[in-house]
Amino acid sequence: MVSYIVKRVLAAIFTLLVIMSVTFFLMNAIPGSPFLTEKSTPEQIARANAKYGLDQPLIVQLGNYIKSYLKGDLGTSLKMQEGTSVNEIIFGQGKFALSIRLGLTALAIAIAVGIPLGCIAAYHRGSRLDGFLRVMTTVGVAIPSFVLATLLLVCFAVKLKVLPVNSGNLPDFKSMVLPVLSLSFYYVCYVAKLMRTSMLDAINQDYMRTAKAKGVRTRWLVLKHALRNSLIPVVTYLGPVTAGIITGSFVVESTFSVPGLGKYFVQCVINRDYPIIMATTVVLSALVIIMNLVVDIAYKIVDPRITLTAKED
Amino acid sequence: MDRPFEQLGSFRVDASGVMEQFGLPDDAFSPATDDEKASMVEKHKSVSFWRDAWRRFRSNRVSMVALFVFLLCMFFAFIGPMLIPYNYADQYRNSQKLAPFEYSEEERTIKSVEGKCDGWYATAMLPGSLKSIAKGNYVISDKGKNYAFTVTKSISNAILMLDRDAETPLFYVKTKDIAEDGTFDKITPVDYTAKPAADAQPLELQKKLFPHVFGTDSVGRDLMARTMYGARVSIIIGVAAAFIVLIIGSLYGAASGIAGGAVDFVMMRIVELIYSIPEVLIVLLLQVVLKEPLQLWFDAARTPFARAMGDLGAGIVSIFITFALLYWVTMARIVRGQVLQLKQQEYVTAARALGASTPRIIRRHLLPNCVGPLVITTCLQIPSAIFLESFLSFLGLGVSAPMASLGSLCSDALATITLYPYRLICPAVVLTVIVLSLNLVGDGLRDALDPRLKK
Repeated sequence: MVSYIVKRVLAAIFTLLVIMSVTFFLMNAIPGSPFLTEKSTPEQIARANAKYGLDQPLIVQLGNYIKSYLKGDLGTSLKMQEGTSVNEIIFGQGKFALSIRLGLTALAIAIAVGIPLGCIAAYHRGSRLDGFLRVMTTVGVAIPSFVLATLLLVCFAVKLKVLPVNSGNLPDFKSMVLPVLSLSFYYVCYVAKLMRTSMLDAINQDYMRTAKAKGVRTRWLVLKHALRNSLIPVVTYLGPVTAGIITGSFVVESTFSVPGLGKYFVQCVINRDYPIIMATTVVLSALVIIMNLVVDIAYKIVDPRITLTAKED
Repeated sequence: MDRPFEQLGSFRVDASGVMEQFGLPDDAFSPATDDEKASMVEKHKSVSFWRDAWRRFRSNRVSMVALFVFLLCMFFAFIGPMLIPYNYADQYRNSQKLAPFEYSEEERTIKSVEGKCDGWYATAMLPGSLKSIAKGNYVISDKGKNYAFTVTKSISNAILMLDRDAETPLFYVKTKDIAEDGTFDKITPVDYTAKPAADAQPLELQKKLFPHVFGTDSVGRDLMARTMYGARVSIIIGVAAAFIVLIIGSLYGAASGIAGGAVDFVMMRIVELIYSIPEVLIVLLLQVVLKEPLQLWFDAARTPFARAMGDLGAGIVSIFITFALLYWVTMARIVRGQVLQLKQQEYVTAARALGASTPRIIRRHLLPNCVGPLVITTCLQIPSAIFLESFLSFLGLGVSAPMASLGSLCSDALATITLYPYRLICPAVVLTVIVLSLNLVGDGLRDALDPRLKK
């Protein structure tokens, strides 16, 4: 177990390094300088480049990035809030905490609602409830999150006025409802669909009949024997769900005017604020990679049949 | 009757004892007639893989409906623009901000007149581009009949009137003669000649009487035409991206699976690496990075390929590049798994033992058996590509200005969402229907092509 975790952590660090390099070279491939404005003279640009070390060879710049990242220093902003430390922008101003709060709540709801829905549908398969849930989940995975977010906003915030239009810093429960709902709906549907299929698979297994014959009560049968075995494919999917929810937050944050990391990232890419692009990419990627790591380890715990050393596809 | 098996010197087994013991008729072992042989072949016709799959697919009602709906969407996107008189890029005068099924100011005038004048049929009024009819000879086509007439006076802002039944005179009503409520009491006859003059020009005015089914946007563009166009762009992007993924992913996966060993190990570590990268972050960067270099390449385009790419625009081409770089990994994994599994099948070993070369084994044994998963994954890749494109267009990347995709239409609708919600709803519903039907078709294909997975 320990050697497996060590191996996975090393692989995760390597992946992060690759992502850093790719992002670095992509950033530098964006034409134009971050300091180029209508008024700036070539000397001013050169001076600014020298100040922020942008005149050094690319490979040295990349090395500097990695060195300072190892020390936990994410650099200083070049443009948006010039001179401010990126750590301060991302963590200090609450952007990261906001995104995390939104993302984790959505993830928790996707799991907490999706899994029971899938189980109920599988258990009452063929019933009207199952039919309704099937239609809902099938349609749910075909609605883009931005459409859902906008429609919810217009319905509940603009027309009915029961919920705030501008969610801002998500101060209370009311302001969380719409962003979280529009972020998690797709994944609730996806998880429920996955869970239903996997649960049906488990219900039809021989050991279920054996357990039933032994006189295990139905509720216990479903909870213990079927649920445990059918969780595996759902757990595998949680890694991509996390990535998707973080990505989805780009849209949701801009729709509900939440000043989170996702909304900021898009602005930074357009503004070429190199250190912030790099920091946001690394922080978000790290989040996804850590989540993947946790999921993989959880996977082994849920399904002891899987050996910890060899990774099979 | 002779017993055929009792001939002296025959090598056939003497079955007479057996026949008696089991009470078989005398002709039980007589050779089959040609008819019997033919009916045997007919009865036990081998069913090909695709025929079998199609039979299974057909019996799945949901998938068949989804297929039909998707074909309707294709019709909407590809044939639709030919059937409506509006163009996605044209801005129609006086038609800004119309609600669904509304006519523009000029078209509305026609409509009200049409209902009010009994016995007279108002064909059309002058189309937006024609403000007046000059003196001269004209032909009007209406209900398959041609009416020729001569305009002796120049008519300005007039409605042309035709007698529907009598084919007799043609009248017109001047717009200024029409009262507020759409009624009028003054009809001006137009001189006409019985035969069309040599220089008569057909005026197909009727065509303009078509409502803006989805309404129009703030600059007077017909939203249905734009939605059709956007749907076409989205479908093309989805299909093309899925094919890119299909080609790269299956080649990579097959190479990895066939090579095996250290090559496979390294190739799969690369796949895992790409798999753990949060794609959308890189996609957003790529979209911004690629825009200008691609534009430079298009401007200097000499080859037909580069020019064709230039027509698509930098946004769409960078979506393709993104798919080629990042999205093939799932396909590669599936193909590799399939190849690894198939490689160990007995018939592959048998073929190898019989001296088949590796390319032959790939062509004859591995590829046909991989077709099922390939088709399913490609089909499910299309909606995910459409989703990604709409997501990027929504963020203001993706397709660029004169073009429209379903995502960019939704994005355009945002600014005025509270006043004109239908501008978002129309393209969003089309997008959802396309993605939904493709998802369901994909599910049906999975059940049809891979019955082992069927629940």
